[in-house]
Amino acid sequence: MARIIRNTSTREMLAQLARESEGLSQRDRRDFLRRGITALSAAAATAAVPATLADTLNSANLPPNEPGWSRQLGHGVVENPYGMPSEFESEVVRRTVPWLTAESISSISMTPLAELKGIITPSGLVFERYHAGIPVINPEEHRLILHGLVERPLIFTLDDLMRFPSVSEIKFLECPANGGMEWKGAQMEALQFTHGMLSCCEWTGVPLRVLLDEAGVKPEGKWILAEGADGAHMSRSIPIEKALDDTLVVYAQNGERLRPEQGYPLRLINPGWEGNTSIKWLRRLEVGDQPWYHREETSKYTDLLANGKARKFSFVQETNSVITHPCPEKPIGQSGFIEIEGLAWSGRGTIKQVDISFDGGVSWVPARLKGLVLPKALTRFSLVTRWDGQPWLLQSRAIDETGYVQPTLKQLREIRGTNSIYHKNSIHTWKVASSGEVTNVQIT
Amino acid sequence: MCRLPDRHWRLVCVGLLLATSDPSAAEPLGIGRAATAEEIAGWDIDVRPDGLGLPPGQGSVMDGEMLYESRCASCHGSFGEGIDRWPVLAGGYDTLTLERPTKTVGSYWPYASTLWDYIYRAMPFTAPRSLSADETYAIAAYVLYLNEIVDEEFVLTQANLAEIEMPNRDGFFLDDRPDSPNIRCMDDCADPRQLQMVGTIGGITPVGHFRAGADAPAASHEAQKALEEQKEQARLKELGIEVDDTPHAEVALSAAAAAGQQVYEAACVACHGTGLAGAPKVGDYQAWAPRMQQGMAVLIRHAVEGFSGEQGVMPPKGGRVDLSDEQVAEAVAFMTEKSQ
Repeated sequence: MARIIRNTSTREMLAQLARESEGLSQRDRRDFLRRGITALSAAAATAAVPATLADTLNSANLPPNEPGWSRQLGHGVVENPYGMPSEFESEVVRRTVPWLTAESISSISMTPLAELKGIITPSGLVFERYHAGIPVINPEEHRLILHGLVERPLIFTLDDLMRFPSVSEIKFLECPANGGMEWKGAQMEALQFTHGMLSCCEWTGVPLRVLLDEAGVKPEGKWILAEGADGAHMSRSIPIEKALDDTLVVYAQNGERLRPEQGYPLRLINPGWEGNTSIKWLRRLEVGDQPWYHREETSKYTDLLANGKARKFSFVQETNSVITHPCPEKPIGQSGFIEIEGLAWSGRGTIKQVDISFDGGVSWVPARLKGLVLPKALTRFSLVTRWDGQPWLLQSRAIDETGYVQPTLKQLREIRGTNSIYHKNSIHTWKVASSGEVTNVQIT
Repeated sequence: MCRLPDRHWRLVCVGLLLATSDPSAAEPLGIGRAATAEEIAGWDIDVRPDGLGLPPGQGSVMDGEMLYESRCASCHGSFGEGIDRWPVLAGGYDTLTLERPTKTVGSYWPYASTLWDYIYRAMPFTAPRSLSADETYAIAAYVLYLNEIVDEEFVLTQANLAEIEMPNRDGFFLDDRPDSPNIRCMDDCADPRQLQMVGTIGGITPVGHFRAGADAPAASHEAQKALEEQKEQARLKELGIEVDDTPHAEVALSAAAAAGQQVYEAACVACHGTGLAGAPKVGDYQAWAPRMQQGMAVLIRHAVEGFSGEQGVMPPKGGRVDLSDEQVAEAVAFMTEKSQ
C-alpha cells in the first residue's frame, strides 16, 4: 500500500482530491477525503491485477519503453558518504505504540520484522529500549571499571578493550516483554507490535571471562553487577556461571561500532537471555558474593503468577517462533504459489525443527530450516504451498536442541495466569481471510 | 613433547607454546591499569539488601515530604498514586492475585534497599544523581511512609535500612522453568469444535502505514501528540472557535540562543522537548506567550533559582546545578526564540 501511495501518479490523485475538497466545510471535507482515499485503497488492494496496476504506475517507465532512470545519469560516489536505504523503503522503520509509555525517553520501539529478509537485523532497525534516553558518550572519555571481589581492580579505555583478542558472534536480542501486551487477549494488529522487540546482530568484542581472568576473580565471587553510564545507571545482577560461559563485552555490531541506540561505545551481550541484562553504555562490573536485587530484577523483570508469587531471575528467553509472511503487514496478494516464511529462536541453543499448522493447531506439517542455523540466533524457516482463497489459521511451533517444544497459549496461561508481562513465548496465530487479509487472533 | 636435550630445541618449543596458548586461560595480559580507590568510590553506588554499599547518612519522613513534593510528586503524585502512565509508588496491598494487580513499593518490592538504590542511581527522572545521600534517605523514608511501612516520626539511616521488613519479601521464587511442557503432536492435536478464537480490538495499534483509512494512533510519541493536536483543532474549528494555526516562520537565532542550543539539547530537552512535569514545550507558542510576557529577566531567574507554578515545577537549573547561570540564560534564550 505504502509503496503505491508513494508513486507519483497516486500522489497527484491525492493532491487532486485535496484541491477538489477545498471550499467544503471541515466535516464534509473529511468525509470527501475519506471516500476518496477509500477509493484509492480499493484500487491498491487489487493492484495485483495488471490492468489496475497500469493505472497507478507510470507506463512510460515500463517495458517496452526505456525507463527514465535508464536514460540519464545518477549521483556519483560519496554523494552519501554513509549510505542510506532507497527512498522507496522509507516505510521500513522502527515504530512504537505511544500509549504503552508516558513519553519517549523511557520507552520502547519495535523492529519491522515483516520487512526483514535474513537473520541479521540492520543496525538502524534494531529495537530500542531506553530508561533515560540515549546518552551522548565521547568514547575517549568512556571507562569500564572492573572491581569488587577481584585480585586486581582494573580500569579500561576503549583502546584497552580493543587490544584483547576479539570474537564475533551472531546472537538474537529480545526484550522479555516481547508479546507482553497479548497475555490477556489479542491486542496488537501488526507483527511489528506482537513480536518486534526482537533483533539479531553479529556482535564483536571480548568474552567477559577474559576480562575476569585479567582481574582475577576471588573464589567467593558468585555474582556480577553490570551497570550502564546512562542517566538510569541501569543495573542487573548476573550469575558468574553465565559470565564465564558466553557473556560478551562488545564494541561493534554488524561490522561497525555500536550504534548509540545500542550502547555506544560499549555494552554487554548475554546471549539467549532477556535483553534487559545486556546492559548498554556499560561502565562498571562489580564482582560480589550475592545478587543485588536492584529495581530491574525486583519491581520489573519478575514474572507475577496467578497465585500472587513472582518468579525471579528468569533470565532465559525460551523457544519462540512467528510467521513473518504472510502477516498483517504482508497480506496474501494473489492465489497460487506461496512461501510461508518465519523466524524461530531459542535462548537455550539451536533450533532443531519448526512445524506449521493451517488449522489452528489441529494438524501440523514440518517446515524446512533455511540459511544459517546458529545457537541463540534467529533462524529462518519456510514451507512452500498453494493458497486458493481458503481461510487459514496459521501457526508455527518451534523445537530446540534440548527438546523443548514451544507451548500453546492455553498451556502457558494455565501455568502462569495472565499477569506475567514477561516471557510470553506461546504459539502465535494469524487468521488468513479469503480476501488474503491477515489478522492477529488468539486460539484457546 | 618439549623435553628435548638440546637447549636450542627447547627454545623453539617455548616459542610454539606461546604462539598456540589460549590467551583467555593464561596469565594476565597486562591490559588496562589498576583502578584507584578514588575512581571506584565515585562510581560504586550500588546497595544490597544487607545494607552493603549504603553511605553514612540519614533522613526523616518529615524531611522527605518536602523533597518528595518538589522532586517526585509531579510524576508519581502527592500520594504515590502515579500521574498519567508514570509508576504508582504506594498502595496496592492484596492486589497481586487480582485480574489487575497494582505492583508498588509496598505491595510488591521485596527489599527496602532497592528503593534507596534506585532513587540514588536514577531519580528524579529528569536529574539523575542529583540527590545527596541524606536527601535519598529522606525521600526513601517518605515513600515507605506513603506505603504505611514506617510511621511519620521515622528516621531512615545507614544502620536501620537493612532491618526494614517489606510486606512482600517472601513473594518471590527462583526461576524453575521450563514449566509449560508441550509435545510435538502432528495430527488430531485438538478438537476443532472446541477451539475458541478471539480477535483484536480495533483502533489501538498504529496501522496507518499499511492499512489506509484506519483511525489509528500514530507510531511515535511526537506524531501522536501532533495527531491529537490536529484533531483538537479540527474539533474546535467545527464548534466555530477561532484557532491560531498560522505557521510560525523560522527566525534566525541570536548569538546567545545559538550558544544555548547545545545546553538545551544536553540538559533541558528531557522536559522541554516533551512537556514532562508541566514544562512548556519548545515550539508551543501558546504555552510560552504568557511566560514570555513576564520578561526575560524573570524567566531566567526562575530557570536559575527554580520555580513552582500551577502548571508544574522547575527545579533550580532543571536539576543541572553543574551549569553556570550564563549557560542557563543562553538555554532560555534558545527555548524562547524557538517558541515565538
